[in-house]
Amino acid sequence: MRPSYTLSDRTVGLLFIAPFVTAALFFMIYPVAEAIRMAFYSYNPLRPELSTFVGLANFEYIFRDPLFWDSFWQATVWTFLSIVFQTVFGVGIAMLLHQALAGMAIFRGLLLFPYIVPTVVIALIWRWIFNPEIGVVNHALQGAGLINEPIYWLSTPSMAMASTIMLNVWKYMPFVVICVLARLQTVPLELYDAAKVDGAGIVRRFLDVTLPQLKEVLIVVIVFRTIWTFNKFEEIYLLTKGGPGTSTFNLAVYSFEQSIANLRLGVGAATGVVMMVMLSLGSIIYLRVSGFGEDERAS
Amino acid sequence: MTSKFNRQILGLPIGRRQVLTGMAATGVAASAGLAGPALAQSKKTGVVRVWGEPGPYGGVAVAAMNEWAQKNAPGLKFEIESIPWDGVYIKLMTDLAAKRPPALISVESPIAMQLMAEGLLAPVDDLVDRIGRNRLVDGVQWGYWGAWKGKQYIVPAHHQPHLLLVRMDIVKELGLGDPDTWDWNDLLNAAKAISQKKPDMAGFCMALGRNLCTDYHFAALLHSAGGRMFDAANKFEVAFDSPQTVEALTFVKELQPYMPKGAVEYSFLQVVDAHVTGRTAMSFYWGRTLGRAAEEAKPVFEATEAFNHARNPTTKRRSNWNDFQGWCIPAQNNPFIDEVRQALVYQQTSKDWLIKYCHSLMPNVAPTYKDVADAPELKEHPFYKSKPRTVDTYFKASLANSSSTANELLQGVNPLAGIVHGRSVLAQTVQKVVIDNMKPQDAAKWGAKELSDIRRENMRLLG
Repeated sequence: MRPSYTLSDRTVGLLFIAPFVTAALFFMIYPVAEAIRMAFYSYNPLRPELSTFVGLANFEYIFRDPLFWDSFWQATVWTFLSIVFQTVFGVGIAMLLHQALAGMAIFRGLLLFPYIVPTVVIALIWRWIFNPEIGVVNHALQGAGLINEPIYWLSTPSMAMASTIMLNVWKYMPFVVICVLARLQTVPLELYDAAKVDGAGIVRRFLDVTLPQLKEVLIVVIVFRTIWTFNKFEEIYLLTKGGPGTSTFNLAVYSFEQSIANLRLGVGAATGVVMMVMLSLGSIIYLRVSGFGEDERAS
Repeated sequence: MTSKFNRQILGLPIGRRQVLTGMAATGVAASAGLAGPALAQSKKTGVVRVWGEPGPYGGVAVAAMNEWAQKNAPGLKFEIESIPWDGVYIKLMTDLAAKRPPALISVESPIAMQLMAEGLLAPVDDLVDRIGRNRLVDGVQWGYWGAWKGKQYIVPAHHQPHLLLVRMDIVKELGLGDPDTWDWNDLLNAAKAISQKKPDMAGFCMALGRNLCTDYHFAALLHSAGGRMFDAANKFEVAFDSPQTVEALTFVKELQPYMPKGAVEYSFLQVVDAHVTGRTAMSFYWGRTLGRAAEEAKPVFEATEAFNHARNPTTKRRSNWNDFQGWCIPAQNNPFIDEVRQALVYQQTSKDWLIKYCHSLMPNVAPTYKDVADAPELKEHPFYKSKPRTVDTYFKASLANSSSTANELLQGVNPLAGIVHGRSVLAQTVQKVVIDNMKPQDAAKWGAKELSDIRRENMRLLG
């Protein structure tokens, strides 16, 4: 006979999941639903009593706004290049850290530093690093004789975009490294031994053994990093405020500007809804095309 | 160490921090000759949040208010929260929207006038009577700080023009003449000559970033040319797509080669840095640059003088941008309205406190009342002794050229200006020219369209 206080497995399961469901309702579902609702309203936060239903007008506004499309293309460039460099360098560094050398644990710990430090601190430090007159980057490049004139990292559209990408790659590459390194440590050594017996060199072993083993983790990492980077606000805003001009605007900055600076919360919300749809569709298509989970389905 | 050393070199009797610390410690008695009748003691407790721009003067004002609180509301403590200039609009709007505004705000006239027209501020006409309607310095009116539909909503904190700061050692060395006589062509030629003859030094610097400072710098040029954003006399129809706007934009484009390359991202701080560190010989700026230079770069301080802006060749105008910074009291979600009103009257009727306010960052914050402006004690400051003409230009001679987007060419209060700055419309228009190489004519059209949108979306503010 079970004690009266014993709960069924189903109830225990529901209790365990209840905190998450509650938190998700308040902090994910409700904000998303409210953003979707607000996307159909004209809403000035200073005069909430004047809020009116405007149908699709906010969406029409953003699709007619050239700055929205500029922001979209800039976000695409910033996301694509950030992910490419994060992935390439992340895999490379993970392979270096996979070597069995003395003190490697220290390097692995240090690697997390950029990921741990708050973005606001990083961005402010990088503003100084990139300062054309007193920044360490120009000082080092000039000291090494690589440049004669200081580079205005944040003052020209192309260099500002490059600078924001560099910051993003530097800060988030450790995430890629950790994920890839964890996977590398589970790759059976027999596969490499067999490849060596077959005469495969280091490049061939990387292409035919390592990369296929990393495929699944890289797909997941790339999807997450793409979503997070495309939505990123604080790095760009803190480093360049979307400038010079609007040359480093992405859709998150565009949404913020519309919501807060322009007091068009409906337009900002509509931008967020469009971003959500774009990323959802993009992620589904990418996962389908990349064949994520095929092995499980086949088995 | 450096700043203390420099203060000693300059002969300053006391530093800015010492001014504040001393006041807090000793609670200097205020002269209450003009003070109104005292109210019954307030029994409220808590912190009264006061917003101000960065600088010691906000702290001085709050010290005066705390002196009032000690006598009349012992459970209250006024605390200053400094809001960065570039963040003021966003900070204000988000906190007002979140229904937790501060109890008292010191803000520039464009934003104050937007809040006033939105009906978010408490009227202060009775305070004006108690402060003294006839006290204002010559050349200004109460409405410059903020009056709407016959009611006063803003109490003056100070007036604060940006002028042309010039390194006279460089100008004299190169024989460039008297900056007080210059027109735009002379300014351009001087900037060019300095850039060509002084390596590692730009001839001129103004903000060109996408920020409030660029808005304010460009507005002065626009108004000098006789241009405006809106026509206050014609239901605020947009007047920006004009030859005057094109002329001002063209002038900025002509000056750009003689500015620091990084100017396209400069805001307030960077322009001050450029001047104080000797990277530019001339700049548009408020008096703060001299205060910084006095503490950090004595030779720059000694060599720098301020002038009314160069004349537009056609209109002969020398329009500056004057902040007309004032105190405003949020009317909603503000539990301390009565106490703030009393404390504000106490501070505003104390000549001693108002002189301390001006002295805390000379010559950045200019006196607004005659009894303060004419007080011999105001002149008891080393800057007044070493640079009387420059200080008087900031304090008095600039007033004839006052303008701002909140009251363009002093032709009428404009409640849309705050929104214009929130969207950085002027700065974006400038950036279309200096970064995107758009023709000034096209940039003026772009700016005019943005202003038309603002007008259309906010017709309710125009009444």
